[in-house]
Amino acid sequence: MSPRPVLARAAPVLTCLGLLAVWQIASLALNNDSFPTAIEAIRAIPSILGDKESLFNILASLRRMAIGFSVAVVASIPLGLMMARSRGVASFFNPLLMVTYPVPKAALMPIIMLWLGVGDLAKMLVIFLGVSLPVIYHSFQGAKAIEEKMLWSGAAMGLSAAQRMIRIVLPAALPEILTGCRTGLVLALITMVTSEMIARQSGAGNILFNSLDMGQYDTVYAMIIIIGAMGIGLDAAFERLRAWLVKWSEPSFEIPLSFA
Amino acid sequence: MNPRALTTDVLLGIVPIVLLVALWQAISSFGYAAVTLLPPPGLVFMRLVQQLFTGGFQQEIGATLFRLFTGFSIAVVLGVTIGVAAAASPAINAVVRPIVRVLAPLPKVALYPALLLLLGFGHESKITLVAADALFPILLSTYYGASMVEQKLIWSAMAAGTPRGQILFKVVLPAAVPSILTGCRIGLVISCIVVFLAEMITSTDGLGHLLVTAARTFQAVDMFVPLITISLLGLILNGLLQGLRSHLLRGFPEV
Amino acid sequence: MIAIDHVSQVFQTSGRQNHLALSDISLTIEDGAFVSILGPSGCGKSTLLYIVGGFVNPTQGLAKMKGKAITGPGPDRGPVFQEFALFPWKSVLGNVMYGPRQQGVRPADAEAQSRALIEMVGLKGFEDFYPKELSGGMKQRVALARTLAYHPAVLLMDEPFGALDAHTRTRLQNDLLNIWERDRKTVLFVTHSVDEAVYLSDKVVVMTRAPGRIKQIVDIDLSRPRRRSELLLDPRYQKYVVDIERMIDDTSENELRP
Repeated sequence: MSPRPVLARAAPVLTCLGLLAVWQIASLALNNDSFPTAIEAIRAIPSILGDKESLFNILASLRRMAIGFSVAVVASIPLGLMMARSRGVASFFNPLLMVTYPVPKAALMPIIMLWLGVGDLAKMLVIFLGVSLPVIYHSFQGAKAIEEKMLWSGAAMGLSAAQRMIRIVLPAALPEILTGCRTGLVLALITMVTSEMIARQSGAGNILFNSLDMGQYDTVYAMIIIIGAMGIGLDAAFERLRAWLVKWSEPSFEIPLSFA
Repeated sequence: MNPRALTTDVLLGIVPIVLLVALWQAISSFGYAAVTLLPPPGLVFMRLVQQLFTGGFQQEIGATLFRLFTGFSIAVVLGVTIGVAAAASPAINAVVRPIVRVLAPLPKVALYPALLLLLGFGHESKITLVAADALFPILLSTYYGASMVEQKLIWSAMAAGTPRGQILFKVVLPAAVPSILTGCRIGLVISCIVVFLAEMITSTDGLGHLLVTAARTFQAVDMFVPLITISLLGLILNGLLQGLRSHLLRGFPEV
Repeated sequence: MIAIDHVSQVFQTSGRQNHLALSDISLTIEDGAFVSILGPSGCGKSTLLYIVGGFVNPTQGLAKMKGKAITGPGPDRGPVFQEFALFPWKSVLGNVMYGPRQQGVRPADAEAQSRALIEMVGLKGFEDFYPKELSGGMKQRVALARTLAYHPAVLLMDEPFGALDAHTRTRLQNDLLNIWERDRKTVLFVTHSVDEAVYLSDKVVVMTRAPGRIKQIVDIDLSRPRRRSELLLDPRYQKYVVDIERMIDDTSENELRP
């Protein structure tokens, strides 16, 4: 069975190459100025990454994303867990969350910018809001699904409610929580890029639309590749981390909760 | 669920929303925020109601809804078809799976500039973006639902004389409906969000465009109105979908 | 009616090893016989049933129905599964009508036949209920009616009462025998319960633990119709149960050493 596992691991790389190939052929076929070939776009990448200002912009984006994400995770996991264990807490927050779920967090950018100005805080807040929801939801689901008998065993062993929360609920819900974090990570990237597209000061999204405005089409597509690579890379890295952290858990299937 | 517990739940749930609105009202009444920054809730809702009866605003809603539905429908048709095909055929699965794995975490909004370049600034680029974003949850949940169909259901149908070719439509698809509807629900919410955002980024009409226009002219009230509208639309559409779901799934055990 | 000819079945487990589930099974089942396949868990008895049903193809050997090789499922061999496998999106009536409609029976006729069957299995009045609204015993009755609706020559029953509580189980056993008495179809009945096998069948095929082989075929010489209350006190019935249980214990013990 030796060709199989090699093929499986190579599949994502092959797919990327395949997609780039399709792009290449399509752009050559369409022969449109606004649709450069894949190769032209790839060639434009080093100029972006090499340019100090652009690089700084991109790294700033990532930094904002990281902070927004981390704060959201730290705040949301306990909330989700508590909502699962306490009817009262759940009833209190549930409708609020359900109402805010369809609101595009990045759409709040202009309003938040009115209040908080154009600095990092506005963007981090939006990212925070966007990431919180899936993490809360998955933490809630994960904690809810825990077998009552496990907790009873813990109580019989003398663990207090708080101890049970940390030593039983948290680890048992961890697989589901990490699924939520993974969704949140993808969402953080999307929210970040989108909010930068809307509130154009700095960041990757800004570079994207600046080059669009200035007609530098190669740069536009190069930036798309970069952002795409960030998304895929972050997701793959997180998935590795997740698999390692919960290697004891059964494989589960997750449906992405929401994007944007 | 006993009725008393239900009422307590509902009451408890309304509290944070009421508190939020009250907080909002308080902040504006006490003058902590200029009316230009945070208009009082009363003003916002009055404006909302007023706008709802205005032809121009209705047209904007129409534009947004049109894009939303078109994009969502494309996503449903493509997602269900590909999902079912991938579940039914290992060959198709082998091709589709890696593509989905690579494309799913990609922020499709990053493709928006490319779509603008290729398809222009009108409906098409937005519809395509909506379809691209809503596709994956629907595809994934369809695939999941179709591949998890209980083997014995298929065997029962085969023994009853169902030819192999019909199994897909007579057993797999109906059995996968709960999962498909879950995916559609997620896809619908995503569609609402994406269409709004796309209109905010560049557009000449639509609810998102209204928000950005109001932002540029510092009309805070007119910024809240489209935002609340899209959220209400999202809630209503979600509610309708839930209703459809209850009707279609009346035979299925609660999941 | 059914001839199983040197059938063996090998399964691949999670890419590591080959698991021999059935080893060289040869068996003939006569028309109208009620035959139980009995054995400990993992002896491959369900697999054997699935092979006769055409749901699984044997790795070696052949199963034949009325002289023709079995290559796939069909309405001549109707299954009744332990998990009921009812179509959740159809009502009771819808489920039972499925087979006849598939055969091309006109809707009005199919409905009439199905209603009669539903009444026969004791579920009159529940035609418009959905499976989720029924108890386990009721679901199994629907499953039985659904299979009977397309008039299979053979009934393949895979531990059909295994998921039910003891009381429901005895009731359904009685009901099954009553229904079977009417047209005496051929029945292949898989179970791990010795007294169930002896109570219901004309012949009990005792199997060993994996790899499953036929240890012995016991002819049950008890007159019909069988009444549970009488049988439980009948020393011949008791002897059958004790003997067969000992047979199964033996096979289990032998198989304990790796």
